[in-house]
Amino acid sequence: MKILSKKLIIMSTIVVITTLSAAILNSCTVSKKVESKSGAQLWAENCQRCHNTPSPSTFSPEQWETIGMHMQSRSLITDKERDKIVAFLKQ
Amino acid sequence: MKPSIHLIPQIAFICFFILLANVSKGQDSSSVVVDSALLERISNLEEITSYTKPEDDHFMVVGLATFGFVSNKTTISSPGGKVVSKTNSFPDADHFEFSPMLLWRHGNKFLLEFEPSFSGDQLGVNWGAISYYASPGLIIRGGYFVLPFGTYNKRLAAGWINKFASDPEGVAGATDYGVEVEGGLQAGSMKWSYDVAISNGFQLLPDGTLQNAGITDNNKNKTITARIGWLPLSNSSLEIGASIMTGKVGDAGTATENLTANLYGLDLNLIENIKPFQLNIKGQYSVTDVGHTEFRNPVDSSSYSFTNHTTTGYIMGSLRPTLYKSFIKNFELAVRYGNYTTPLNSIWGTKDNSLAVGLNYWLSWRTVIRYTYEAINGSSRVSTDLGGTPGATTKSNSMYLQFSIQL
Repeated sequence: MKILSKKLIIMSTIVVITTLSAAILNSCTVSKKVESKSGAQLWAENCQRCHNTPSPSTFSPEQWETIGMHMQSRSLITDKERDKIVAFLKQ
Repeated sequence: MKPSIHLIPQIAFICFFILLANVSKGQDSSSVVVDSALLERISNLEEITSYTKPEDDHFMVVGLATFGFVSNKTTISSPGGKVVSKTNSFPDADHFEFSPMLLWRHGNKFLLEFEPSFSGDQLGVNWGAISYYASPGLIIRGGYFVLPFGTYNKRLAAGWINKFASDPEGVAGATDYGVEVEGGLQAGSMKWSYDVAISNGFQLLPDGTLQNAGITDNNKNKTITARIGWLPLSNSSLEIGASIMTGKVGDAGTATENLTANLYGLDLNLIENIKPFQLNIKGQYSVTDVGHTEFRNPVDSSSYSFTNHTTTGYIMGSLRPTLYKSFIKNFELAVRYGNYTTPLNSIWGTKDNSLAVGLNYWLSWRTVIRYTYEAINGSSRVSTDLGGTPGATTKSNSMYLQFSIQL
């Protein structure tokens, strides 16, 4: 019981620290250089980290929305990056 | 007051005129001829419009297929002699895979991912989880998913992504039941990513190896897996990651109940465009330490022990002339070195060094034909008490020809 409580405390601490860290880091200022990047530039920079850059014609706009969420959970790009890349691919 | 008698004919005439006008108008409207082709066209457009209008939910199927041929020659040498075996097979059993992935998006907050897979003569599941996109930089997931240890299993192992037909030794995937939080965060020009999972964890086997506990946990303890990724450059070309996994692995109610396994890992990813080439360097190194315990010798049932320490790692580089305009830009050359060292004096002790060379031809951004040649040289680390032969070596040479596509 004692071991279980200790483990729960450790787990809870990790979850809290992670959530707080996420919030704090997210509030950090984004540099203008990064902020001004287009969806096309982010597409070129981020997709190739794992695989070849996808052709925008591969999927429909609706499908790109879904693929965008799927890929974000693998590559852990930021939400802004995802939105810009998906907007570019939907064109 | 009664109307004058002389006004009655005039009123009757006006009423008759109005009645006549209405009848005439009715006849005009009923006489309009509507083009049936136009009506049909309008009907078709209405159907298309209703079909393509934005929806809250969206369902689609993607996935991958990998098929190939492998030819292998294995030579086992010991002071007593040499044994050579040759095989060739359609397909290569380790990488033959047909895996449709069902993606079901509910609004822009939920995503259900389900990936059944037919590989190695059996039907299994690679991924089955639901993700909640709670807020910017925070995704919460529950279900069956690949644990966030290193990057190879979660990002690079898929056939249409991999630069080689084979996986580096010892970097096998760990997929487990649990919950996970993850996200990517911008901090100035840098980026960070975090990924933390709590899952059932591993189970210690009688020979000291680990396997996934599965849907029914073998003990009350849960395993924590976490990875932090750092992308220091504003163009995201470099990523350095650190991972940890810790949890108890022994079965409940046994002497090993409190035995803990700790895994530590580092990973690297670099993409550099050096005109006209694209250079890609990836690597991963990990250490596995399992607590000390006694095992049963299968030869004479005596007890024995060993330091349960395993290391595995790989480093690979690939070069592709992406800026060439001819078909040459579709070629990619890749080289990978790997090392896999399992515990000394364990029944599965070995020290393997591998070298793989690959030539890939990309038919499209997600379709590849690849040739891989891999040589693995292993030396036994099994003690003589367990039936091992001092100085025994294994040489394995494999040639793969493989096709892989993302659908």
